[in-house]
Amino acid sequence: MSTIAETAPRGQTRRRMRVDGWRWAGRIFLVFMLLYTALPMIWMLITSIKSGFAAMQFPPQWWPDQPTLASYQKLLDPQNSVGQDFLRFFWNSLFVSTVTTILSVIVAVPAAYAFSRFSFPGRNFLFFAVLLRNMFPAVIFLVPLFILMRVLGLVNTHGSLILTYLTFGLPLAIWLLKGFYDNIPVQLEQAARIDGATRFQAFIMIVMPLSTPGIIATAIYSFIGAWNEYIYAYTFLSKNDQLTLPVGIQRFFSENTTDFPGLMAASFMMSVPVVVLFLVLQRYFVRALTEGAVKH
Amino acid sequence: MTIVTGKAEARRRLQPGRSGVLRKIWEHRADYAYVLPAIAVMLIVIAYPIYYTIELSFFKTPPGLQLRDKTFIGFDNYTTILASHVFWKVTWNTLIWTLGSTLISFVLGFAAALALHRDFIGRGVLRAILIIPWVISAVAASYIWRWIYHSDFGIIGAVLVGLGLADRPPNFIDSVSTVLPSLIVVNIWREFPFAMIMMMAGLQTVPEQLLSAAKVDGASAWQRFWHVTFPHLRNVSTVTILLLAVANFNSFIIPWIMTGGGPSNASHIWITHIYELAFGRQLWGVASAYSVLLFLILMTLGYFYVRALSGNERKEGSA
Repeated sequence: MSTIAETAPRGQTRRRMRVDGWRWAGRIFLVFMLLYTALPMIWMLITSIKSGFAAMQFPPQWWPDQPTLASYQKLLDPQNSVGQDFLRFFWNSLFVSTVTTILSVIVAVPAAYAFSRFSFPGRNFLFFAVLLRNMFPAVIFLVPLFILMRVLGLVNTHGSLILTYLTFGLPLAIWLLKGFYDNIPVQLEQAARIDGATRFQAFIMIVMPLSTPGIIATAIYSFIGAWNEYIYAYTFLSKNDQLTLPVGIQRFFSENTTDFPGLMAASFMMSVPVVVLFLVLQRYFVRALTEGAVKH
Repeated sequence: MTIVTGKAEARRRLQPGRSGVLRKIWEHRADYAYVLPAIAVMLIVIAYPIYYTIELSFFKTPPGLQLRDKTFIGFDNYTTILASHVFWKVTWNTLIWTLGSTLISFVLGFAAALALHRDFIGRGVLRAILIIPWVISAVAASYIWRWIYHSDFGIIGAVLVGLGLADRPPNFIDSVSTVLPSLIVVNIWREFPFAMIMMMAGLQTVPEQLLSAAKVDGASAWQRFWHVTFPHLRNVSTVTILLLAVANFNSFIIPWIMTGGGPSNASHIWITHIYELAFGRQLWGVASAYSVLLFLILMTLGYFYVRALSGNERKEGSA
């Protein structure tokens, strides 16, 4: 201690320099990560405003001579056959994702609440059984589920996707929400019970409003998962008018792989809804992860 | 259901004061109503497929989905798999893919979280940009990167040629030696944001007083990180790494759309290989046997996963 006191000025500078060194390393690293993250997306955007001819040049044009929104116009034009397909895929994705999200919330909220508050026999077993779903890849369920869906008459309907998507949204949804409920004091409900509310009423009137951020996080997660899902949609649906975007886009461009501007424009359009949704609501999502998943 | 409740009722009437499992279940019957929808959905869509996969793995199956014409062959599917050299090739690929993606994603995500922990102008915007790859669809990501890696018009190739580092654009994903690392770069691009979010959340729980106390005691930035911050993040790190490992082990879209497992199986991992066996070559029985082996591996990982999670719970309970 005494030596530090004696050499305080020099020690201070050295320490500050060392700290600055870390800070600079951090900044340089962040610039690197920014480039790694953003450049592919920027290149997607630049390609999407090129003409098909301009995209096929070497060395590539960093910025197109004649930027054009033709690819976007084609995708969004209901008169054009490409536009018709794209818009239909878009609505299909929106429909499937929205219904999945609503059902996920309806199913996950009471389950998470029960796992948080009640101690019924088999509670821990059931909770971890639900979580274990996260462990299993979609592929190994494909054959049996395809057969099951055929039995249920759901092949080639959006119902097959919604039912399937429910199950892989649920584990994280239940987990996130349980974390939220764990942090809401039981006393609030007890107070409501004393005032004459039933347990269910206390749940609806007291707990639900307090867990809104968790519910929003759950909804975002379900929506993004359903929007981006590829493998079940690829297997369960074969009729062109039912395809969702990830599969539709693939069908679209497998015939014409040279239309890279069109493919990039479609990739961009497919990403817009989920990115906007996430950016607007991300603080709920990050908070949910903090409360639910990251306990210390 | 009625039998169970009847028994519990009867026992309660006969032996008041005794607490049997059935009686407990009966007393908590209202609680089950809350979890019933979730459990029902999971049962239909999880339990049945698991059972059916195990069953199929012991049968020789006809092509097409006329699975009623299957014949029992015992463990033949399993021995076929273990004897094929493709199996070992694919297993090796899976190992590299999973470990490489997981560790690098975690390290990059953790480092980004640390760098973003201190407040500065534009931090929120930067964080949002870094998260975007995780949100966009893997299908879109695959197309974007396939275009970036394109062997004639790809931008990375163009930059390498422009800098004089290559004579002509390399075939990143058409060449056996570079395909797997190239795909891992794409996968990390999509996965590191998840590690970043988790670790940022974790960093907020590190007590500020401990860090300043360490600072007063003369600990360097590195020492503070290693002795204070890092031990505090052990649980978050474990959970994050496990979730990443499972997600990577199970990934499908990026290898499938970018290369379809090729060239010559160089980018096939377990999942894409199973898919090809089932839906490409219609070897349902063999694919099911693969899936069962996969279960066993995943259950092992799952054991650690659950242990890490319940470790969290216990800690929280005692705090």
